[in-house]
Amino acid sequence: MSTVIELDGLTKHYGSARGIAGVDLEVNEGEVFGFLGPNGAGKTTTIRLVLDLIRPSSGTARVFSLDARHDATLIHSRTGYMPGELALYDGLTGTEMLQYAANLRGGVDRGFVEELAERLDCDLSRPIRTLSTGNKHKVGLIHALMHRPELLILDEPTSGLDPIVQQEFHRMLDEVRAEGRTVFLSSHILPEVEAVCDRVGIIREGRLVTVLQVKALKESAVNDLEFHFAAEVPADEFASLPGVREVTVEGTVVRCTITGSVDAVVKAAARHEVLDVISHERDLEEVFLAYYTGESGDAA
Amino acid sequence: MLRNVFLKTLRDQRRSLLWWGIGLLALTSLTVATYPAVTDVPEGFDEFLEQLPEALARIFIGGFTDFTSPEGFLNTQLFVLVVPIMFVIFAVLGGSGAIAGEEGAGTLSLLLTSPLPRWRIVVQKFGAVAVATFTLALLLWVSLAIGAVAVDLDVSTLRLAAVSFSTALLGVAFGALALALGCITGARGTSAGAASGVAMAAYFLNALAPISDVTTPLQKLSPFYYFIGADPLTNGLNILHVSVLLGLTAVALGVALLAFERRDVRG
Repeated sequence: MSTVIELDGLTKHYGSARGIAGVDLEVNEGEVFGFLGPNGAGKTTTIRLVLDLIRPSSGTARVFSLDARHDATLIHSRTGYMPGELALYDGLTGTEMLQYAANLRGGVDRGFVEELAERLDCDLSRPIRTLSTGNKHKVGLIHALMHRPELLILDEPTSGLDPIVQQEFHRMLDEVRAEGRTVFLSSHILPEVEAVCDRVGIIREGRLVTVLQVKALKESAVNDLEFHFAAEVPADEFASLPGVREVTVEGTVVRCTITGSVDAVVKAAARHEVLDVISHERDLEEVFLAYYTGESGDAA
Repeated sequence: MLRNVFLKTLRDQRRSLLWWGIGLLALTSLTVATYPAVTDVPEGFDEFLEQLPEALARIFIGGFTDFTSPEGFLNTQLFVLVVPIMFVIFAVLGGSGAIAGEEGAGTLSLLLTSPLPRWRIVVQKFGAVAVATFTLALLLWVSLAIGAVAVDLDVSTLRLAAVSFSTALLGVAFGALALALGCITGARGTSAGAASGVAMAAYFLNALAPISDVTTPLQKLSPFYYFIGADPLTNGLNILHVSVLLGLTAVALGVALLAFERRDVRG
């Protein structure tokens, strides 16, 4: 298994605090790698450095063992890219836009373009200026996928897609992986990364905090569950369960903060009459905090 | 028209070219149509022009004092001010839009991640701006040649081609300047504004420098001097002057390529 993307001390200073500092990272052939971080953490900056749209202040980026700067054209011919702030040619139809991009690449399989459009339920005959954000996004995805690139670089690929299309897109990523091709995708949405990625790199304030298997990420993930019971339930029934960090009781409502598996808590709750369960979306910041405290704990 | 960056850029300019073409056609045909009336003016019109304050005369009719000859008429009516300014603006808009326009619209990222080196994108875009400008010049030449025959304006078709060619060269030089400024700054408005400002300054420099013997040599700093100074409508193309305009264009294009190669791209 060879390394597809190799970042070595990659640093980009902008005027103030933005940018990235000393990012070291290896993405392997055939994996779906998630680049996870809040908005403004440096995900897009990293991607644009890899694609030679911007140039590093120091450090290097290599793709397919080629220099990102000097061999950019070669790298681009083997890469599909979907920018986070997608802009297409408003005056063209979807078909024309993709035809132009295909011509610049020396031609692509038109049947495959139509297949992708069908699967994503994307009408390519309409002028791009008349498309909704979600539909523009689909054209952008087809643009990235249509030449069957060895490497897909996707910056926040599913923002603006409805859930059904998102699922179809995730299936496409699975197919890409099954063919041994590589995906590097950025996201600020934890469940998405968990759903499609093999490994995850977490970036925060321009620094790569950690790289880990998605499985490990799930084990350390923090969940907030809120149970509405028919009658009052004692708090200590939950407090002693594995993974439970915090329990609060307000009348018949019990809130649990759980690290890792929620299984024990759910099974304990099921012994009582449950009127409602509310699962709060896990907060990315909490995941980061878990790693920061973990780090400082190791150091101490 | 979507085969490559050159054709796509031309395609993007097709509407603009159509409307500028219509405007140019209207200007040339209306102007040429007034020629018979001018030749009927009693003798002394040229003397009247000579009595105009020199600065005023130079700004609006250049150094020409002959208004009623075919060449003098076309030079003072069209080639001193209106037509070159039209060509400069047309090319500046094209040049500033070429790279900086796409950057502002956000489409440059996709273009640059296609397997084309940056320099080829700039060269193809410049080529499209140049071809569009020369297409406008061709229209200028054909419309004047036909108009001249229609109103008995006795002027050489070949010399009309020479002055039309010279106009296109002037436009392309400023278009290349706007392209370079766009490649440096990435801002369409800034590059169009700055290039237009330079063009305006160059125009006045060429027009007003000859008023004093001290400032006369400064005229040769203005690209407008190399466009009209040798009067291509009367004398044909001056190879040296053509070379200067081509040289300026080449320098601007070189700056555009170098600047764009090094720069971080935003959109």
